[in-house]
Amino acid sequence: MPVPAIRCGKTGITFLVLLFLALTLSCAHFSHELNSLAVSGLPGSVEIPSVPFYPQEAYQCGPAAMAIMLQWTKANVSPQDLIPKVFVPAKKGSLQPALISAARRYNRLAYPIKGVEALLKELAAGHPVIVLQNLGLQWFPRWHYSVPIGYNLAKGTVILHSGKEARRRMSWTLFMRMWKRADYWGLVVLPSGQLPASADEQSYLSAVLGLEQARQFKGATAAYTAALERWHSSLGALMGLGNCRYALGNLIGAELAFRHAAEAHPSCGASFNNLAQVLAEQGRYTEALQMAIRAVDIGGPNKPLYLQTLQEVQAIVKTGPE
Amino acid sequence: MNFLKSMRKPVAGLVIVTVCAFSISWAPAHAAMVSTDKILKQNNQNLDRERLNVLLDRSEVRKQLEAWGVTSEEAKAWIDSLTDQEIAEIVARIDQMPAGGSAIGILVGGALLVFFVLLVTDILGYTDVFPFVKGQ
Repeated sequence: MPVPAIRCGKTGITFLVLLFLALTLSCAHFSHELNSLAVSGLPGSVEIPSVPFYPQEAYQCGPAAMAIMLQWTKANVSPQDLIPKVFVPAKKGSLQPALISAARRYNRLAYPIKGVEALLKELAAGHPVIVLQNLGLQWFPRWHYSVPIGYNLAKGTVILHSGKEARRRMSWTLFMRMWKRADYWGLVVLPSGQLPASADEQSYLSAVLGLEQARQFKGATAAYTAALERWHSSLGALMGLGNCRYALGNLIGAELAFRHAAEAHPSCGASFNNLAQVLAEQGRYTEALQMAIRAVDIGGPNKPLYLQTLQEVQAIVKTGPE
Repeated sequence: MNFLKSMRKPVAGLVIVTVCAFSISWAPAHAAMVSTDKILKQNNQNLDRERLNVLLDRSEVRKQLEAWGVTSEEAKAWIDSLTDQEIAEIVARIDQMPAGGSAIGILVGGALLVFFVLLVTDILGYTDVFPFVKGQ
């Protein structure tokens, strides 16, 4: 019978020795990291109450973890509902983008995070997080999703819903070793309209763009509105808000958002272009024409689109609306 | 006449399906709007070529998912709810993507050394493969 890759004997023993050396050296810094975080203004201990728990069956940690997150956001979803949406049979597991996609299909914001600081910030703000971990080793990976719901800095523990166990307490060091092997990937899932505690403008807007992509225009509208409360006059948020309102058929709301964008960012042609389109659809052709000309004058990489808008408006002005 | 009558339902069904399919694919017909996607992209060069690549990427990812046993309907919904950037990231590492499935039924095939190594690393608190070993 062929023996897999590693053969016993001297090579094996040397390998084991090297392995332990490598592990010992690579993991030495985690406790330092925790000590430095302890002084950065985070509460010393957190456990988010009332995070529901679903024990995982067989390979179904993805659907179970996602069901926990979605139920926590008050979406009525069971792990069974999620299996066809996130589980990839040939891989016997769930891929990260599938979790992101599933959250959006339930009109929830999916915000990926990376690293300890973001994780602790989210937990401190009362947001559970899905994390990907490699429970095995680099060369023998056992990928697993679990849901941290709290931590205790003084005791050096993380509290998580994982596998068949609710509220498992795990040493910070073990948790970090296994999280590091998955490149510190985590995912926050929130009702649309709420901001993640660790949100930065660009990453948050990209996450909301995902909601828009999934055609969850109402959710995306709420999420862009929330962005504008934090990052006033953000071009991406204003344009996104306008586009979502437009997609929902709210021409007047869209006009307001594009006008705001045009005032706050007069050197960006896109807002004038979209404003022209929205005005034309309201039958306000003279104003539309002015805005379309403005967009073309500003130019930029989207100029072909601006010219198209201008030609369409000019054609209507010449021949009159159909 | 009877034949025509009996055909009425299927034909009507077909017409409805076709009309729906067209109205869905033609919904963003206002090509003159600048999408949020374009605003958020830092690098706006070569938009048309990029657009084409993304379309190819989407169908590639979808085919791969179907080959892995995801139903075609689910694969489509999956792909449709991811942004161009996310699709590009998947294409870049589709073969190495980790699939979280966890460690409950494992280690068939008699790799005794692997079992031993993981058992020891579990006990020492470097891994968490076996449920019967509790890390500290």
